[in-house]
Amino acid sequence: MLVFLVSCAGLQRDYVQFDRLSDCPKQTAAMLAAKQSQLGPLSDTHTLACALTILRDTQDPAVRRTSLGSRVCLHLAEREANQEKREKLAAEGVDFAEDALVQGGDGDGAVHYYLATNLGLAVREHITLAMENLGRLEHEMKRALALSPDIDDGGPLRVLGMLYLKAPAWPNGIGDRDKALELLAKAVKEHPMHPLNHLFYAQALWGEGDEATLVQVKAEFALGKRLLAEGNWGYRKASWKKEFDEFQQEYGEVGPTPQ
Amino acid sequence: MRKAYLILIASLLASFNVKAAPNPEMILVCYPGGSVNAKDANGAMSSMLRVIERVGQWQQNSFNSLFTAKSDECRKQMAEKNPKFAITSLGLYLELRTSHNLVPVVQPRIKGRTSERYRVMVQKDKYKGLDELKGKTMGGTVLEEPAFVGKIVFAGKYDPATFFVLKSSNQAIRALRALDKGELDAIILNEQQFGGLASLPMKTPLEAIFTSEEIPLMGVVANSATTTAEERARFGKALEVMCTDTEGKKLCELFGVEAFATANAAVFEPMVKLWTEGK
Repeated sequence: MLVFLVSCAGLQRDYVQFDRLSDCPKQTAAMLAAKQSQLGPLSDTHTLACALTILRDTQDPAVRRTSLGSRVCLHLAEREANQEKREKLAAEGVDFAEDALVQGGDGDGAVHYYLATNLGLAVREHITLAMENLGRLEHEMKRALALSPDIDDGGPLRVLGMLYLKAPAWPNGIGDRDKALELLAKAVKEHPMHPLNHLFYAQALWGEGDEATLVQVKAEFALGKRLLAEGNWGYRKASWKKEFDEFQQEYGEVGPTPQ
Repeated sequence: MRKAYLILIASLLASFNVKAAPNPEMILVCYPGGSVNAKDANGAMSSMLRVIERVGQWQQNSFNSLFTAKSDECRKQMAEKNPKFAITSLGLYLELRTSHNLVPVVQPRIKGRTSERYRVMVQKDKYKGLDELKGKTMGGTVLEEPAFVGKIVFAGKYDPATFFVLKSSNQAIRALRALDKGELDAIILNEQQFGGLASLPMKTPLEAIFTSEEIPLMGVVANSATTTAEERARFGKALEVMCTDTEGKKLCELFGVEAFATANAAVFEPMVKLWTEGK
């Protein structure tokens, strides 16, 4: 474990400061933990910032060993347009998760999941950092998959699948299209209501370069796009739409939605 | 991924090429058989270019790259864009060297070597030699360039397109799994792929029934008609220094490249001879 704890190389370690904290409601970390299911992509940014401020200072071990702080950081980071702030928030999310592991949260798949997703967000724009942390990302996401495969609508399947799809392939890296296809097909099958499961599976199929799969690529893309349009995905919707648009531009499909 | 160092070279080269250039200079990167899509490859190269620009104090966004994993697309871009510098496979260099006045500039050095051997792998004890593979299936990323395999790897002794049933793949690991399951009779691997075999869990032991002669690693080539000897020498020198720079070294290590060595044209002459005389 120590090896992994020291292997998140190069992350930013100073924290983002927020405005209007005097407007925050009086609450404790235990109160936040009790209503943590309400803190998510639908929460407004000020609510999450207030929560994070409290979690930064808490010494409550029962709260610190959960994924709450890491998850709040991820939701803030995902909606942050400024790259430097986004990476600081994500790095703080990694810190929260690592602290949770130290506090005894190793058996909680969510801790591993939010550690990996924050880490991925923190390093994705930096090739050397990303390459250095690939092993850690894979390890944490595999732990999340083993412990909590259904979290975030199949998040461990979806993110690990994309990791295998995008990472440098053997023998230079952990990239493996066979594994990616297997995981993403499973994500679509077991969690069909999440838009990104369909988008990522479409991307994996598209990467095969096989015309025989083109119909399926279009179908998965269209289904994911419809789910995105019809669902209430909160602050995640804008960034996910961007991902859909970028892929649509890549594969050049602007035709009608297959049924 | 086949020869990931080609992407690294692209980022390094571009930064030296276009210092003070008013417009970004396009570096053509041809990576036949590679499993990376153009968007991801250009993204990776862009990230590396930015590092190089910062380290070398060049203006940010002075450089760009054009990536392709398809040989035909490479030929097309080479003809249309006529780039001063390019990253190519050895096969494409040999094919295009006359029409585009290409000369080698630098070679990567990997594990102390600037050359490699190719190997044909089969399930252990299943076949004794290449002759027994006539009409059998062969896979591997290298097969994106069958003429190179026939003329250079097999030194003209076998024409892969007619001797084997070729099952080209941009996924070396997938070809190896197919061989392991008996879905392929043989695969052809480059040095990096062969060196990575130990890390793969295989049900069936494999063995090499053919090992090529030493074949030089290809790196950066230049159009000798549109670049000066001074420019080419500057590239070579700059790339040699690159892997000793703190940041540059990190990038080099990530891709398994120890250093870049100025290319000696004489090293490639036997390859040119094989290519020219090959059937």
